[in-house]
Amino acid sequence: MVLIALAFAVFASALPGFTTPFSLFAIGRQIGIDTMIGLAMMAVIVTGGLDLSVGAIGVSAAMVFGWLCERLGLPLAVSIPGALLFGALLGAINGYTVVRSGVHSFIITLASMSIFFGVMIFLTKAEAFRGLPPEVAGLGRLKLGGKVSALLAVSLAACVALSVFYRFTTLGRRMLAAGANPRAAEISGVRTGRMIIACHALTGALAALAGLMVTARTGAAVPSMAGQLGQDWLLPAFLAPVLGGTLLSGGRVAVFGTLLGAAFVNVITSGLLQLRVGEFWIQACLGLILLAAVLADRGRHTILRRRGLV
Amino acid sequence: MRHALRTLTLSAVSTLLLAGAAAADPETKVALVPGGPHPYFSAWEQAGKDAVKDFGLGAADYRVPQKWELSQQSQLLESLLSQGYNSFLIFPGDAVGTTPVVQEIVENGGQALALAGCLKDPTPALFCMGTDVANSAYLGTKELIKAMGGKGRIAHFTGFLVDPNTQLRIDAVQKAADETNGAVKVVQVIADIDAPQPAEEKINAYLAAHAADVDGIVTTAWVPAVTAANSLRKIGDKRIKMVGIDHDEVVLKAIKDGFVNGTMLQNPYGQGYVGSYVLDKLRSGCTIKDSAPWAKNALTAKFVDSGTVFVDAGQVDTYVDAMRGITKTLKESFDKDFLACK
Repeated sequence: MVLIALAFAVFASALPGFTTPFSLFAIGRQIGIDTMIGLAMMAVIVTGGLDLSVGAIGVSAAMVFGWLCERLGLPLAVSIPGALLFGALLGAINGYTVVRSGVHSFIITLASMSIFFGVMIFLTKAEAFRGLPPEVAGLGRLKLGGKVSALLAVSLAACVALSVFYRFTTLGRRMLAAGANPRAAEISGVRTGRMIIACHALTGALAALAGLMVTARTGAAVPSMAGQLGQDWLLPAFLAPVLGGTLLSGGRVAVFGTLLGAAFVNVITSGLLQLRVGEFWIQACLGLILLAAVLADRGRHTILRRRGLV
Repeated sequence: MRHALRTLTLSAVSTLLLAGAAAADPETKVALVPGGPHPYFSAWEQAGKDAVKDFGLGAADYRVPQKWELSQQSQLLESLLSQGYNSFLIFPGDAVGTTPVVQEIVENGGQALALAGCLKDPTPALFCMGTDVANSAYLGTKELIKAMGGKGRIAHFTGFLVDPNTQLRIDAVQKAADETNGAVKVVQVIADIDAPQPAEEKINAYLAAHAADVDGIVTTAWVPAVTAANSLRKIGDKRIKMVGIDHDEVVLKAIKDGFVNGTMLQNPYGQGYVGSYVLDKLRSGCTIKDSAPWAKNALTAKFVDSGTVFVDAGQVDTYVDAMRGITKTLKESFDKDFLACK
């Protein structure tokens, strides 16, 4: 929080355009999207695993949304849940494969990233769905109270829902228990395999929601929205939760920390862009931030272990 | 040296074009934003600099997204708007997906042209200016068919599938072949290769396996043209005829040496230079005439052809003259037919 305020103050004083209403709206909108991508990854980091296919799932679900909406002519009230369910299904396939094979989720999702993306490109012939209802693009431009992006509000709502889920529901607490110490959880009656599948399904649904948010921003479902194989989402997917305090070893989540992590990254990115620092340097800077966050995560994990908290 | 020569050439074009520039608005800040890094657009940088010098604009800066990705381009455009740019020349990352950010530019007091590629109507962009890609691909293929003696098999190497122009080019090449009543067949279309690595990989693999099966090659994107020209030089067989696109020195040298029959010259410099000029005029109080003679294409009813010309071995040494000619004509046509200035 302090880092965000500091970065914001520095850029605001150096750049007259940084605090214009449009600039703040655009930064807020991007924070909304990156938070959702980060939450998708966070939901699987809970188990101590990861999901390299979040981008591929997000794009695939967005394309399914376009197909339901444009080709089948289904209303948004059907198309949106349909796309979310499809994302959850792809995530569940990842989880099931991880549990059944016993192979680390890194390998499984590396493979499924190529499979999901490749099948999507084959089925769509890389053609975008451009005839979506105007409400979709309208949501991307919508300003709540004349200032705040509706997409940021969606992510805030998701943060609240996930906080309640992990803190107050049995399923949420079992997911955390399965991630913190699978053997102890198993002895306590938690079926960790099912929890891992459920975590991956949740990741898939949140990735699908992120895909729908990007679709709202562009007004079209575009196969290249997350880059080749969906890889452009990987950096924000890891940056936001790790910066926010989610432990890579699993068992602990930082839902609102993920929001703050995404906010920090976007304030830095927007500031550097407006300072006309080259795009390539921005990527290098984000990579360094991720490295620092991972090292901080290791340090935090060591401290918690010494205190007997993990 | 190569860059210096190109800069000198383009500057010479602008100097000759400049004739009595009207009072400009120094508040005009133009951003020229392609969809991603690509050699085709590099001429926009010099075009912007020359437009600032010749027309007295506040700025005309060439800003490139790190890669061909719609959200990166949108984020860059949002940032440029926040930085105070008020006039945008944009190659759309997607024919529809770029529309929302253009809408935001307009809602925040800016103006935008789609440049080198169009947005699909309805669009908040003022109009689209670019090569009539379908016509260029059609004319290039006709030239190739002529070089092939009116019969044979063609391979077509083209650009990114996400580029709204690619399908138009594929259709145009097919149309030219269909007009031969079966004498010419398009036996292979390889798309999504407008980058060095995939172009090298796919074109070389195809020619290694099927060079004997094709009589002609038409390329409708920059990098495939360069790669195919190099491949034909390596094979050393001038039996396969080829018509390329754009003015990369590799292609021009291959034309001189007889490995390539010609190239369809586009006008990226003129697009950036005249586009900056027109946006400044519109900010300075000029309007677009109701009677403006718009052309149409598959995406928009407000299209302006920035010009294309076939250059073969006979004209390859004087291609700058051809470029200068089409840019001069383009600017004159805006002054005469499109702009109403008090």
